[in-house]
Amino acid sequence: MLRILLINDTSKKVGRLRTALSEAGFEVIDESGLTIDLPARVEAVRPDVVLIDTESPGRDVMEHVVMMTRDQPRPIVMFTDEHDPAVMRQAIKSGVSAYIVEGIHAQRLQPIMDVAMARFESDQVLRSQLQARDQQLAERKRVELAKGMLMKMKNCNEEEAYTLMRRQAMSKQQKLIQVAEQIIAMNELLT
Amino acid sequence: MSDNSNDLAALHALAWVAGSDGPEKNELNIGFMPLSDSASVLVAATQGFAQPYGLTLNLRRQTSWAGINDKLLSGELDAAHSLYSMIYAIQLGISGAPATDMAVLMGLNQNGQSINLSQPLKSTGITSASALEHRVRQPGDKLNFAQTFPTGTHAMWLYYWLASQGIHPLWDVNSVVVPPPQMLAHLQAERIDGFCVGEPWCANAVAQGQGFTVATSQSIWPDHPEKVLACTREFVEQYPNTARALVMAVLEASRFIEASQENRRSTAQLLSSRDYLDVPLATIEPRFMGDYDDGLGNQWHDPHPLRFHNHGAANFPYLSDGMWFMTQFRRWGLLREDPDYLAVTRQVQQLDLYRRAASSLEIAVPADPMRRSQLIDGSIWDGSDPAGYARSFTLHARHDQ
Repeated sequence: MLRILLINDTSKKVGRLRTALSEAGFEVIDESGLTIDLPARVEAVRPDVVLIDTESPGRDVMEHVVMMTRDQPRPIVMFTDEHDPAVMRQAIKSGVSAYIVEGIHAQRLQPIMDVAMARFESDQVLRSQLQARDQQLAERKRVELAKGMLMKMKNCNEEEAYTLMRRQAMSKQQKLIQVAEQIIAMNELLT
Repeated sequence: MSDNSNDLAALHALAWVAGSDGPEKNELNIGFMPLSDSASVLVAATQGFAQPYGLTLNLRRQTSWAGINDKLLSGELDAAHSLYSMIYAIQLGISGAPATDMAVLMGLNQNGQSINLSQPLKSTGITSASALEHRVRQPGDKLNFAQTFPTGTHAMWLYYWLASQGIHPLWDVNSVVVPPPQMLAHLQAERIDGFCVGEPWCANAVAQGQGFTVATSQSIWPDHPEKVLACTREFVEQYPNTARALVMAVLEASRFIEASQENRRSTAQLLSSRDYLDVPLATIEPRFMGDYDDGLGNQWHDPHPLRFHNHGAANFPYLSDGMWFMTQFRRWGLLREDPDYLAVTRQVQQLDLYRRAASSLEIAVPADPMRRSQLIDGSIWDGSDPAGYARSFTLHARHDQ
């Protein structure tokens, strides 16, 4: 059974979603307003899906979504009355997997959850790839920077600089990026 | 609040870029065994050879060849430093795992393994092949010889060498499997009388006074094929750009190791790290540089030392190299019938992929995918008649004769 963390950001009385969810066969493991640390709560109760019910997702709601996507990624389903396409785009960009503007019907909840979970999984793969690429790119830039410093210091060409850095790294049983960082730090100290 | 890694527009752009010739998969788990001949993989992963191709290589040290076998098939490892013949055994379904289509991406090295005998044998005067042959003919318990995997290269070198000395490797002695790092412990416990393994485990036994080297693998076949970078065929088909980028990174690292003596020496220093081989530099370095001491008072600089590149000759996946291992499987009864040697090898060796990778790095690619070699018993292997070659040996264990 899917375990759901329900966040209620509406003035309506608590429970309009909980009833629909129970009828559809989901387990609501926790329910709260927005005055919580969402990533911490997600870590504590380990839901399969986070469901946010909000009249209109404002800046503070989006902030919660971004933080959670970064720290405790989970599929997020947002139920709202807000029809503005710009708000919807912002919500998707922040990490919402499904944005539902029509009323809540118990019989539609299962396919909505399925779509949200599938969407979340494919985004997670892309996200981790993007992170790996970001890190590769960052490391390359640092190595390039160190290489340039070494070429100046040693008055040598690019290939010689790479070879010097690699030999230094291997003889100290380190990675190239570690030696690059040491060269950059030393260069900052000396200039 | 907008953070690049959270930006779905960027994510979807990335999905689109994956349709070009960038790697389809950016982070790879690469298995290796703690052996000197894993050097090019370790250097590629740690010395910035993969990042320019958009790859991060996560090194995963393994404790046995059986483990590498299983993890390649389960997908836990994307690619691995592997025994050449083990990949063919998986392909043919004789490795203990279900037959699976495999891919040899490139050769990682030639030479650098050896056959060693124990200190107790040495102290009874058995210090040569002929003395060993004489001992084997005596009544009494059979000697125990260890290799690292039943269908591995070390088993094939051990069998070939023993047979070349008139000793039947399956009938005259016992054959047992021991993972490389455990060889010394088994030798000390006198559970084995001899073994064939890669460095630095032979030099280690000699250094500890536990044994001596009776034959190097390069004395059996100068510049023989040994370890390969391998993966499943499914991986190559699913991630062709990743596979090519991986080959390019490891090729560049291979070239770098052999670009100078200083590079080679600092590579030995990297290997001795506790994260990789965890063996003292003094044990790794001499044979890594080609300097041998057999433990019997003989020292020499080997004309066919461990080679990682040799201007590309050590990396080219020769069809005749792949086929040779199948002829030995056939010879020793591991294969009951002749496979279609050439067809199987053409499927396993990723010649086109290698050619594209090597050409873009301006590394020479041999015109002929077959090469001609003379082995220790005088036999010539050139890949032209594998079935005939497999049948040509006096000592064998084929079922059909």
